[in-house]
Amino acid sequence: MLHRIFPLAVFVFLVADLLMIFVFSPAEVTQGYVQKIMYLHVPSVWLTFLAFFLCFLASIGYLWKREEKFDVLAQSAAEIGVLFCAIGLLTGSIWGKPTWNTYWTWDARLTTTLILLLVFIGYLLLRKFVDPGEQQARYAAVVGIIGFLDVPLIHQSVVWWRTLHQTSTMFSMKKERVVDPNIAIMLWISVAAFTLFFCWMLVKRVRLENARRAFLRKMANLESF
Amino acid sequence: MMRQAARLLAKDIKLDLRSLENFLSMLFFAVVILLLFAFALPLDDESHELMAPGLFWVTFLLSGILNLNKLFQVEKENACMDALLLSPLSRGSIFLGKMAENMIFILAMQVLLIPLFSLFFFEALMSHFFPLLGLSFVVCLGFSSLGTLLGGLTTDVRFKEILLPLLLFPLLVPLLLAAVILLQSLISGAGLAAEADWLKLLVGFDLIYLVVSYLVFEFVMEL
Repeated sequence: MLHRIFPLAVFVFLVADLLMIFVFSPAEVTQGYVQKIMYLHVPSVWLTFLAFFLCFLASIGYLWKREEKFDVLAQSAAEIGVLFCAIGLLTGSIWGKPTWNTYWTWDARLTTTLILLLVFIGYLLLRKFVDPGEQQARYAAVVGIIGFLDVPLIHQSVVWWRTLHQTSTMFSMKKERVVDPNIAIMLWISVAAFTLFFCWMLVKRVRLENARRAFLRKMANLESF
Repeated sequence: MMRQAARLLAKDIKLDLRSLENFLSMLFFAVVILLLFAFALPLDDESHELMAPGLFWVTFLLSGILNLNKLFQVEKENACMDALLLSPLSRGSIFLGKMAENMIFILAMQVLLIPLFSLFFFEALMSHFFPLLGLSFVVCLGFSSLGTLLGGLTTDVRFKEILLPLLLFPLLVPLLLAAVILLQSLISGAGLAAEADWLKLLVGFDLIYLVVSYLVFEFVMEL
């Protein structure tokens, strides 16, 4: 029953979120409609970090317990994380052009996110290049752990790199800006809607992966006859 | 454990000394990269001073990764890897032995690379020979800890020549940034102490990855 209601609830929530973004939420004073991309951008970036953190935990879980479900979870989370990371960077670029007048700037957060994307693309490629099985799970778990541990180091180094050595501060990040309460509420609703969407995707992806692996095992059994 | 690691290191060094091809190919690769930079970049001293730190460490990374690819390759012949794993050596000492070999290799290369680099690019670099060698040691420690882990991990993997740099270089971004900025400050005459924060970050990177790589290495090396 739940597996029928849950996707429906996610769908309704997302549609409601979309409606509220364009109908009810106020347009930002200086940016106008452009700012509305924030409701896609911020949840995507949040989900990126959530997904990679899940992948990190599942990787530790796999090396500890050696149960395949952790490996499946790590793989699924990493794939969805890469997807949202790419969406986050893309929407950020689209947003950056009208507001910062550039698609890309070597800002600390942008750079960290880009490096994170590269690390986890490497992680997925590693999975592609190693034959499925116990070895793939072990190798991927190791990369999932050391990759995530690097995030604070990368971020710290990039912050220093940009803040100590930047000659121009044309594009200051807007974190000090006072956020209008309406916008803040809208943002929270979007984050909630996308997080639910993420949960649904993750459940689907885990099921698919389980089915795929079961199928591969069955085929291998048939071939050994 | 240290004795086991030293035994493994001695074996590898003996093998390397017997045929210097590994070391020589790495060194000449570094020279070729320097040549490419010399042709591709403008030839005035001012821009060389600006670019020297970056060029130096990029050369270091590109030639260093060659040795990482070779590090476990020698054990692949005649199934030496299985013998190594079956032997009473602990995984930790295999890691330390291989890592030490890599560090000795790269530092030996640096001893020759620094004069060559100052010859081709930036003469003033030679006057900082010993501090730069010290800095190389600290950078190399982080590079080798993470590199040995990932080098061991990619030994069995298809397309490992592509996969290793793809995995390693993004993770090394903090290391590269710190190394470049510290070398800048060395060249400008301010010394390493002027960028103490970066030095701390670099040492922190080394320690974190030395410990983590040492701990997870046993999961990479399972029979």
